[in-house]
Amino acid sequence: MEPTVSPPGPLKLSLRVNGVSYVGEVEPRKTLADFLREDLGFTGVNLGCEHGVCGACSILLDGAVVRSCILLAVQADGSEIATIEGLAQSERLHPVQQAFLEHHALQCGFCTPGMVMAAIDLLTRVRSPTEPQIREALSGNLCMCTGYTNIVRAVRAAAEETATSPKHE
Amino acid sequence: MNSPWTGKAVHPREDRRFVTGRGQYLPNVSFPKMLHAAILRSIHPHARIVSIDVTEAQKFPGVACVLTGEQATQMSRPLRSLIPLPVEVPYYCLAYEKARYVGEPVAAVAATNRYVAEDALEKIRVEYEPLPAAVDPEASMKPGAPLLFEPLGSNLLWHDCFNYGEVDEVFRQAAHVVRERFLIQRYSSTPLETFGCIAAYDPSRPYLTLWTNDQRPGQAMPIIAHSLGLAHTQIRFINSDIGGGFGNKRKPPYLVLAAVLSKLSGRPVQFIEDRRENLMALVHACNGAMDLEVAVSEDGQLLGLKVRDIADEGANVLNPTVHSLLKLGNITNCYTIRAVQFDGYSVMTNKCPSGANRGIGKPFMCFALERMVDEVARRLGKDRIELRRQNLVSPESMPHTSPTGSFIDSGNFPETLNKLVALIGYDSFQQEQAKARTEGRWLGLGLALAVEPSTSNQSSYILTTKKRTASGAAEAAMVRVESDGSVQVVLGDVGSGQGHQTAAAQIVADELGVDFERVHVSPYFDSLVSPWLYTTGNYSNKFSGTDVGAIQGAARKVREKIITLAAHLLSLPPQELELADGAARSKKEPHNRKTLEELAHVAYRDLLALPPDMEPALEGRFYYRPAIANLPDEQRRVRNQLFVSNAGHAAVVEVDIETGKISILKYAIVHDCGTVLNPVIVEGLVHGATAHGIGAALYEEFVYDEQGQLLTTTFVDYLKPTAVEVPDFKTDHLESPSPFTPLGMKGVGEGGAIPAPAALVNAVENALEPLGVRFSDLPLTPERVWQAIRLARTK
Amino acid sequence: MKPAPFRYYRAGSLPQALELLNGAAEGGKLLAGGQSLVPLMNLRLARPEALIDLNPIRELSYIRSENGEIAIGALTRHREMEFSALIARELPVLGAVMPQIGHPAIRNRGTLGGSLAHADPAAELPCVLTALDAKLIMVGSSGERVARAEDFFIGTYTTTLSDHEILKEARIPLTEANAGWSFLEFSRRHGDFALAETAVLLFTKDGRASARVVVGGSVDRPLRVRSVETLLENELARNSNSIENLLPEIERLTVSEVQNSEAAREDSEYLRNLTGVLARRAVKEAVDRWSQP
Repeated sequence: MEPTVSPPGPLKLSLRVNGVSYVGEVEPRKTLADFLREDLGFTGVNLGCEHGVCGACSILLDGAVVRSCILLAVQADGSEIATIEGLAQSERLHPVQQAFLEHHALQCGFCTPGMVMAAIDLLTRVRSPTEPQIREALSGNLCMCTGYTNIVRAVRAAAEETATSPKHE
Repeated sequence: MNSPWTGKAVHPREDRRFVTGRGQYLPNVSFPKMLHAAILRSIHPHARIVSIDVTEAQKFPGVACVLTGEQATQMSRPLRSLIPLPVEVPYYCLAYEKARYVGEPVAAVAATNRYVAEDALEKIRVEYEPLPAAVDPEASMKPGAPLLFEPLGSNLLWHDCFNYGEVDEVFRQAAHVVRERFLIQRYSSTPLETFGCIAAYDPSRPYLTLWTNDQRPGQAMPIIAHSLGLAHTQIRFINSDIGGGFGNKRKPPYLVLAAVLSKLSGRPVQFIEDRRENLMALVHACNGAMDLEVAVSEDGQLLGLKVRDIADEGANVLNPTVHSLLKLGNITNCYTIRAVQFDGYSVMTNKCPSGANRGIGKPFMCFALERMVDEVARRLGKDRIELRRQNLVSPESMPHTSPTGSFIDSGNFPETLNKLVALIGYDSFQQEQAKARTEGRWLGLGLALAVEPSTSNQSSYILTTKKRTASGAAEAAMVRVESDGSVQVVLGDVGSGQGHQTAAAQIVADELGVDFERVHVSPYFDSLVSPWLYTTGNYSNKFSGTDVGAIQGAARKVREKIITLAAHLLSLPPQELELADGAARSKKEPHNRKTLEELAHVAYRDLLALPPDMEPALEGRFYYRPAIANLPDEQRRVRNQLFVSNAGHAAVVEVDIETGKISILKYAIVHDCGTVLNPVIVEGLVHGATAHGIGAALYEEFVYDEQGQLLTTTFVDYLKPTAVEVPDFKTDHLESPSPFTPLGMKGVGEGGAIPAPAALVNAVENALEPLGVRFSDLPLTPERVWQAIRLARTK
Repeated sequence: MKPAPFRYYRAGSLPQALELLNGAAEGGKLLAGGQSLVPLMNLRLARPEALIDLNPIRELSYIRSENGEIAIGALTRHREMEFSALIARELPVLGAVMPQIGHPAIRNRGTLGGSLAHADPAAELPCVLTALDAKLIMVGSSGERVARAEDFFIGTYTTTLSDHEILKEARIPLTEANAGWSFLEFSRRHGDFALAETAVLLFTKDGRASARVVVGGSVDRPLRVRSVETLLENELARNSNSIENLLPEIERLTVSEVQNSEAAREDSEYLRNLTGVLARRAVKEAVDRWSQP
């Protein structure tokens, strides 16, 4: 790979988001979160702190949960991204989304996309997580509404659901 | 009315949009040619603004306009304070002449995007002349303190001393008088979505459209209209989904600022706080000090209180005294105390403006009271449960009026306590504690009881304003059966995560006898469409107190019309009809019916089939006001908030005495908010409020240094509890319906935030009882705990 | 909260990165995981003129066993270390520390090299790698050099890495079986940087008991508590099982070493106390592991 020299002006970027390819240009300093929201319209990526603490902007980058507010969009060149908008298959929700609904694991909903992503990251690594493991996995995501209790319950339920049912996706 | 829907654990319908990432939060709203604003903020706690040079910023590529405080004074009027001041103060959307706290807006830029706007801020040159700052509230109210507003001659915004009952007599006769001083820190609920707005000003009409997550449209509208010199008809105010509010999201100055920038640039302007701005400049709950004296009889009866309360309002000149009034109104908590003296002070300092925050004032009231009750029990050698039980307002004496005029409409406080004691396992705990101590583990159990009043009575502000700017309480709603028979509901108060849309649909479905799924509730507030009044908005836990009445009232208007129309079409007397299964039908012969769709067809299209004197359409608007709101009487007693829920919290904690670390091992909550409309929603709100209380007790604090610099401006320094710190909650419920609300419901959003700090600190003190450690302030950081232990051990 | 403009360069290989660092992007910052750097840039507390993105250099991401050492590439992400069977088996103390670093989303991006080069005194990896006596390999235009971890960290956010060098690898010697170890950390909340931390390693080397006790948090760089190490070595050499009696002394020695160290960060009695308590507890835990393999 040739070193890419940026100054001045935008850089070329190609990536896949929720299974769809995008090719575009972006100013190097633009965060991945802003790029996803503003350039591609994935407004389910919420900005809660923009300094990598609250987790509201969490997405899956090549399958792993990351905070898109502290990644540059240019760093996502060539990658595969999943946002909350891409999880449901038409009317069928992802098991984690479904569990969040069934356990009312949200109130204002602003943390929810990031929480769901953190939960998915956990469940792809640990099939039957314990409660402390669930709490640890969610600890990088702040929720100001729920006190976390219902979120933890939802993730536990989703884990049981995915452990006993054929694989989603 | 059948009630298949009310009381049912319906899963909040809002949730589906949110779990799929389709929330219409303010930051997701965008318009062509929209500009993005950024604000240059004071780096000084207190400084004279000598000059501002915006030349370079104005020339910066991508910048549409730059605004300074000086220009703001030409394009807007000062924001009008809600309390009377001897002279008008220059409180504009930007600092003018002086900056009064770190983070105060000094200048603003609107540019093509936020990146460019922030670049341009760096080109603005401000010359400041730093001034000494008023930081400590008690020093700030003394003569000679640096003044925030010189024309006022003092930083003391409000002082009053209230006497209720025979205070002196009670204290004279008391067997014991216990005095303690309590302190509370600055903290805030910090909704995950920060404050934001979009202003689009059309000079040709002129007309201002505002999209915002400001949670109190009814109060914001007149303030903005006055500042901008617009009639209310020239402003359209829109809320969509709000990413959490908790009282924090009320900021008329930002709305005015965005409007002025839009006027200057001729384009829509969006302003969204970043988190640093949110933490330094949106709103903090007042810090404060309370000197509390309680008169106690020989046998442990709490007879009277003397309170000296100082609320540090920061630079809040817009709506101060709210915390003070709510402490005053609820100062006897759930006890039968007969006499109260409340000496209250609202003081300005060079800090972030204070304002509403989950529980407003009541967490501090409860902290002081419930800590004091434990202290009295200790001094008298009585059991803390017994002492509480002996002093609780009994269910037989409901409704109970407290000495300050607060009206406790319903509740069974002793039963709340009984359930709490059972839930936390109080009786077996002592053994557990003793055993743990032999193993070198320091366990403690603490509890606290709290009233959780809801629905502000605007009349209570007359106590501080001395003016009848508003009185009573109310909210509005509209219900409309559309021409296809589906039902549309529009609310004055759309909520910010409390499931209002679900709850409203449950109520309307039952009133109209239709399926829940046929009822759509708009997630939007739009002042052009939504019915509203001054009290409209999402605050004071008021859904149950006013909103339910409005929804029900509007539905009943429609219901009445449906029945009249159906009676006409079926040629039956109206009293023989009922609404069920989506139709008006004969009670005796249910097959004799007209569906809502058929009726709506007549009401909207086949108009000549209507009774000759009937107005077309099936639509009802209702403005509901609770009858029990009153005005202050001659003794200055007033029903401060109107309906009183209650809660009991108990915690078992373990203290690591070597490090000061506190671990919550068990947390029990008993909650009573009257009739439960939707248990799923209630449970969630109880958990969430409790987490806020835990944050305030153990983690959260806005720290100012002695010069007034704010040291906690990111989520790295201002610590919110995470899923690891917040324990699993054990909950139990009572249902003591209010006789004074339409469905017997009472407020539910604050009950956790109020008693949690007291319960936790009581638990920590109980754990450290052998060492005699006492805490008077919050939060209990490990270092504070360790220092206190060390101090106690060296005594 | 948006970063100031900068020039962005993407390095596809180590030589390319060095070329950039000594040429077009001179004076620029290296971007590895970015979990500390980018927040600072968003807050405009860091405003590098140029960024050299090292993430494309995937050949610097590895964990392998070589010549009695575990070699870890500088761009190995925390998550790979956390889930590495090799680390879990051969370096249990490192395996145990990984889940305590930040949160999953941080660990999915954060890299070993980034964490070490950032040298946050409250971070976990500098402390534990010092205890493990890791060798750090740095490359510059004139070739490679090696530093022991304990010499690499010289102060708050400061290391001996020059502006023209890149950290390439950490090599951790495998200690003898029968090792005792512990890592304890105290932070306000789970995942926060440490207020105090202690790593303890006990092992036999050339038939002799060896101890490494390193504290962090209250000091501006990982600090070896040599008085405690000596005490432990003597005690273990005697094959004594009475460490219990020495624990108060271990705490006292730790507090006193921290207090007298030029690395002490601030005059905080609380933090010193905390460090002493953790050291005592960590030693106890390590000794328990040592004596019950």
